Amino acid sequence: MRKDNAKKTKYTFYLGMTVFLLIVTTIMGVFAFTMYVDHFTEKSDPNRYDKYYIMIAEDNSSSFWQSVYRGAYEEGLLQNSYVDLLNGAFDHNYSKEDMMRIAIASEVDGIIVAADESDEMTELINEAAAKEIPVVTLYGDNTQSERCTFVGIGSYDLGREYGRQVLEIMRKKLLPEVQVRVTPLYDENGVRLMWTETMEYLPVKVMVLVSPHTQDSGQNILCSGIQETIDNEKEEDVEIELSLVTIDDTNTFSVEESIRDIFMEQEQPDIIVCLNELNTACVYQAVVDYNKVGQVNILGYYDSDTILKAVDRNVIYATVTIDAAQMGKYCVEALTEYNTFGNTSQYFIADIELINKDNVAEYLDGGDAGDE
Amino acid sequence: MNKKLRAFSDMSLQGKISSIYILTNLFACLVNILLILGINRMSGEMEMVYRDNLNLNELSESLDSVQSSMTDYLNAKTSDSLEEYYRNSQIYMQLLEGLEDEINGDSYDRMKRNIKHMSGQYLEIADQTIDAKRGRNVEKYRARYESASQMYDYINTYIYSLNNQQFKNNSENYTELSQAFRLFETVGIAVIIVVIGVNVCIITKLVGAIISPLKALARSADEVANGNFDVELLEVQTRDEIGVVSRAFNQMVVSIREYIERIRHSMEVERVMKEKELLMETHLKDAQLKYLQAQINPHFLFNTLNAGAQLAMLEGAERTYRYVQNMSEFFRYNVKKGDATVTIQEEIELVDNYIYILNVRFSGDIHYEKKVDQSLLQVEMPSMILQPIVENCVNHGIREMAGEGRIWLSVYRIDDVACISVRDNGAGMSAEAIGKVLSGTYREEELAAGSNGIGMDNVIARLKLFTECDDVMSIVSEGVDQGTEVIIYLQIREREEEDV
Repeated sequence: MRKDNAKKTKYTFYLGMTVFLLIVTTIMGVFAFTMYVDHFTEKSDPNRYDKYYIMIAEDNSSSFWQSVYRGAYEEGLLQNSYVDLLNGAFDHNYSKEDMMRIAIASEVDGIIVAADESDEMTELINEAAAKEIPVVTLYGDNTQSERCTFVGIGSYDLGREYGRQVLEIMRKKLLPEVQVRVTPLYDENGVRLMWTETMEYLPVKVMVLVSPHTQDSGQNILCSGIQETIDNEKEEDVEIELSLVTIDDTNTFSVEESIRDIFMEQEQPDIIVCLNELNTACVYQAVVDYNKVGQVNILGYYDSDTILKAVDRNVIYATVTIDAAQMGKYCVEALTEYNTFGNTSQYFIADIELINKDNVAEYLDGGDAGDE
Repeated sequence: MNKKLRAFSDMSLQGKISSIYILTNLFACLVNILLILGINRMSGEMEMVYRDNLNLNELSESLDSVQSSMTDYLNAKTSDSLEEYYRNSQIYMQLLEGLEDEINGDSYDRMKRNIKHMSGQYLEIADQTIDAKRGRNVEKYRARYESASQMYDYINTYIYSLNNQQFKNNSENYTELSQAFRLFETVGIAVIIVVIGVNVCIITKLVGAIISPLKALARSADEVANGNFDVELLEVQTRDEIGVVSRAFNQMVVSIREYIERIRHSMEVERVMKEKELLMETHLKDAQLKYLQAQINPHFLFNTLNAGAQLAMLEGAERTYRYVQNMSEFFRYNVKKGDATVTIQEEIELVDNYIYILNVRFSGDIHYEKKVDQSLLQVEMPSMILQPIVENCVNHGIREMAGEGRIWLSVYRIDDVACISVRDNGAGMSAEAIGKVLSGTYREEELAAGSNGIGMDNVIARLKLFTECDDVMSIVSEGVDQGTEVIIYLQIREREEEDV
């Protein structure tokens, strides 16, 4: 009797459990199913933002510009603003000017543009300003325009750093090349008396790769920074021949071609100073390809993986890195400030840092914050 | 829960089975409906995947028609094309209103916002162009046409890019959705199979639970049919038809058992009585057989003794006459009362005769004294009881002894019991011998000389049968040469009361 009862209770328990579990499973299944279907329709980020800024960069593929954008984007989220990178948004490759027009027509709350000193850019910035859209020039300035602020690097400081590196390369790596000039010495009758030998140091050829926008004040300041440093701090009696080589960046692949052209010349420079990431990468590749490692010293720009590895392998002597994320952050800060107070500081200068063989390890290991 | 269970167990059989089927079907139906709803929703979602692309295509086409109607107007300046332009720009504006205007984290929404704003600018410039054309301001409308066209290009590219990205995303979604769709189909089928399995289990178990009392009933009925009435009673918890039948069956089994028990009891009583009767008869027959064996002599002796007595009378031999007369009495008693119930008086008389005969035989060696409560003389007792006891006293007690043998007979009363004591001063008995005699195992000298053939065992057995109790006799002896006392206990019967 008792056994029977126990059996019955047990049986009822199992039956109840089974039905209960099935119902729970079904309900959970339907719930999971609904969630699954919902995730197709829901927005990735349903937050609403007060301000909408557009960034127009030089390009959207390099890690430098990606870092800048990341910095701006994250700062934007803090300020409840959304920053969009316009490069790459289209299937069509628009020029910076076209993108400026699109941004202006889109009636955004602010434009961050990697400007240059061209007239067209000046006009566009002025047009935006006329429509009360604040424009921040980033990295490259347009001094003539009514841009509200410029966020960039301290060009003069950067120039001085490059100058110091040039001198260091000369001290450490370059043996002074000597040219012996033999000239005949004649008497007044025109009879050759003897040969005189004069020894001359061959000048060290330093090549700075610059963009074709000659009005770019930052670039000019940078070059003069290099020149002044060399002039002031040079110890040896070696002449340094500083030349500016314009790299055509107007067409898509012209940079790489222009750089290759340098190596096709008879005489190669001893030191090449690159002022942007793309140039650095191209020069590095060309030096490797033309087997000039050790003969041509590179001073690079930025700390992408490729560049850091090259530093580690001694192909690039040193590179200068800029806190790209900081630059992006400054841009948004400036725009927020401008939108709030109607005014902001004219210049924001991002920090620069030198990376060479000695400290490249920490950038390789730790992974630079700007290069995600 | 318990209440529900009880309610369920109180249902009729039909109600139970029907409710099980209805419940299981409802359960399966519910699961099916849920699955169908889910799949329905999913297919709806799949149809909506490319909705955004269709909307964008519509927008793009509308923009095209605005641009082309504007160009038409600028070319030919027909009122038709102007009308066309206004209509198209109206449609385009309506389409624009459907676009999001908020800034959120969704890149498509932001692109739509930009398209909306650019389109607003574009329509403004287009209107200005049309106005300039109407005002024949050639310089102005050309310039504006240029910038409108540029804007048109931008917007078109924007829409195209957005469309492309969304298409890519939607295609991925579509692939994912169709995979999920297939997965859910499989899961759905699995769920249905599980539900069917569970339903089968539930039905089997519940129907089994309903049927199990019926099975138990069938088993019990089968056993009863095979003659085993000691089956365990069925446990009845339900109140359905099976419960009713089970209860009736239990009642039936209990009743049958009671009847059987009653019959068995009466049979038992009958058997005991029969047994007793048979036993009595057997002992009697045994005794009678002994008499018959002995009667050959008594009958002959009785007749000859009678002749002897008459002869003694004729010759005037008084003592001989008395002796023969006593002998004759003794044997007559034996012949006459062998099988009857007698009184104590008759038994005492027989003992008197016996003692007289013995005293004549053994020249007065036995001193016989009796002390009898006269009120007990009519108490009934079986015949041939006292004489064998006295014979034993003589044979085993005093025959061999040197001195004067004495026998005391006394009849007295203790409450409702009449006690007859026969005591001698002879050899005595050991306790072992007493035990043997009382239990009926002492028989070796049963047929000794001078005996009439009736042993103590027979005496005790007949007394027991007569009194219907076991405590009929006790033997007391204080040891060797201390004599023996045999006491018979008799319930005082009615006949004595009647006589008194």
